[in-house]
Amino acid sequence: MRSVVQLIIGTLAVLTAFQSSAAGTVIDQMGRSVVVPEDPRRVVALAPSITEIVYALGREDRLVGVTRFSDFPPAAKHLPRVGSYVHLDLERIVALAPDLCIAAKDGNPKAVIQRLEALQIPVYAVNPVDLAAIGETILEVGGLLNARLAAQSLVAEMNTRITAVKDRVAATTHRPRVFFQIGISPIVSVGSGTFIHELITMAGGTNVAAGALPYPRFSREETIALAPEIVIITSMDRNESFLKAQAEWQQWPEIPAARDRRIHLVDSDLFDRASPRLVDGLELLVGLLQPELAQAAP
Amino acid sequence: MSPGPQPVLRRLLLVSLPLLLALLTASFLGLGFGVTGSGLRAIWEALLALDSANLVQQTIVWRIRLPRVLMAAEVGATLSLGGLVFQALLRNPLAEPYILGISGGSAVGAISGILLGLSRFPGVSATAFAGSMATLALVVVLSSGRQILKKDTLLLAGVMVNAFCSAMILFLISLTQDSRLHNIIFWLMGDLSLTDMGQVRLLALLLAPCFLLAFLLSHAMNLLLMGKETAMALGVNIKLVTMTLLVATSFMISATVAQCGLLGFVGLVMPHLLRLLLGPDHRILVPACILGGATYMVGCDLLARIVPRHGELPVGVITAMIGAPLFIFLLRRSGR
Repeated sequence: MRSVVQLIIGTLAVLTAFQSSAAGTVIDQMGRSVVVPEDPRRVVALAPSITEIVYALGREDRLVGVTRFSDFPPAAKHLPRVGSYVHLDLERIVALAPDLCIAAKDGNPKAVIQRLEALQIPVYAVNPVDLAAIGETILEVGGLLNARLAAQSLVAEMNTRITAVKDRVAATTHRPRVFFQIGISPIVSVGSGTFIHELITMAGGTNVAAGALPYPRFSREETIALAPEIVIITSMDRNESFLKAQAEWQQWPEIPAARDRRIHLVDSDLFDRASPRLVDGLELLVGLLQPELAQAAP
Repeated sequence: MSPGPQPVLRRLLLVSLPLLLALLTASFLGLGFGVTGSGLRAIWEALLALDSANLVQQTIVWRIRLPRVLMAAEVGATLSLGGLVFQALLRNPLAEPYILGISGGSAVGAISGILLGLSRFPGVSATAFAGSMATLALVVVLSSGRQILKKDTLLLAGVMVNAFCSAMILFLISLTQDSRLHNIIFWLMGDLSLTDMGQVRLLALLLAPCFLLAFLLSHAMNLLLMGKETAMALGVNIKLVTMTLLVATSFMISATVAQCGLLGFVGLVMPHLLRLLLGPDHRILVPACILGGATYMVGCDLLARIVPRHGELPVGVITAMIGAPLFIFLLRRSGR
């Protein structure tokens, strides 16, 4: 008797699944299985990088909400905001009635993700840890949003550009010592296991802050001892604080970078967002680290 | 029929009913308004048992705002009652859970929990609770054994433990160099935004016996305030009453701090305000503080949600920003 009931329930379940064909189960990058709609129409991107990926795939018509600093492409600024990616606003997300949220493991609070799931809103989490994984992520998001072809051609184009950089850098004999400064006061740099470290290495430089700590802090004394040949500064507010930081470095002609005036400001968005624009960041870095090679290139 | 309890009971009702009404109004507003606009329609539809066309609105009101409002009420009631009890026990108007180091200890515990990568609940809550209980034990031991009734020793020990905890918090923060920093800061500022019904139920279960105990001992608190000798002469077991209230209050404070971080000044402002308005009878003040503190916190949480154009303020910022000036005002008034 019981098995008959089970059979009926099972059959019904299969039938409903076929009928609506609305949902499918996928495994996200955190290894969780998520039931996602076949063709999500109302997507909320829970990090600026995810917004950029969705736009790069040409699926911005599906986006109904983004986070506070989602400013690229500029059109994204006009979408409704759901808090910042480290402090998501649950009520605003729910009010948008999304049929899919795409989250980033790095930054999005786990508690919010759990609440969203409890409210029956599917959340697909991505966790790209290096450039190769960003390619994977783009393909997965493309799969979710029915933009597989766009995703494949985007990733192919990124890979072509990455390979071109690698080929150019392969010939170099000198890998300059780079200090990549992401925080001005206190002085903060980036350790191994970050996108920036990978980009520096790929662009033919040596990250002097390499180490287990992802965002190590340095005293002025330590930066002098590290003797970087190139200093690259990213800054949220562009001009004033960069000029200050630059002047701060220039006081120490003992540091090769200060002596040779190789202190540069770059747009932090090209380096700390797991988006297709990291390749722009890579090409920019090659120009700064290996100017001769960059000039030689077509 | 003795004439004694009758007026007390009547006064109790006279005070409690308006406060209850205020709490219900604040809760109604708390449910009705938020960052995504009004939910009044959803409330009406649910109250009149209508089928709602707008499921999103229903979800927001009942599954996001309701737990928040309830949690705010629980936390406000606890902190305010905690302040009242401590002020009576220590016969010191400045006594508050924070002054005694209990919330400081709980903060050190919670931050350690966050750094260890524990989940907010139950992980961080458990470490916060352990931290506050450890500081309470330390404060009691420092003001050692028999001396516990000497209020100044207890207060001084609390202040010192609190100072040490603040240093520990800064130390832990300066060690942190990644995204967990955000979690810590938001927790420190006091945050109710992620409450769910499970937490509300659990906290209610923990708080109810403590509230009841405080109410049962409210007459003893009145006698304690008349002085040690008088209280003893009137048959109060001072040591037992003090210890019971101290432990029960610390328990309920740490349970709430563990849930929502540091929310300042509620414990200081509400008891003083209500004492000024209602007089010194703890049989009235205990329920009044529970209802009044709940109303204050629900109101502050509502402001925290609707004042900023983007995102929301941590509610701890609001409670302190309103509470501190209010307290100074009360201080000046009572000084005259």
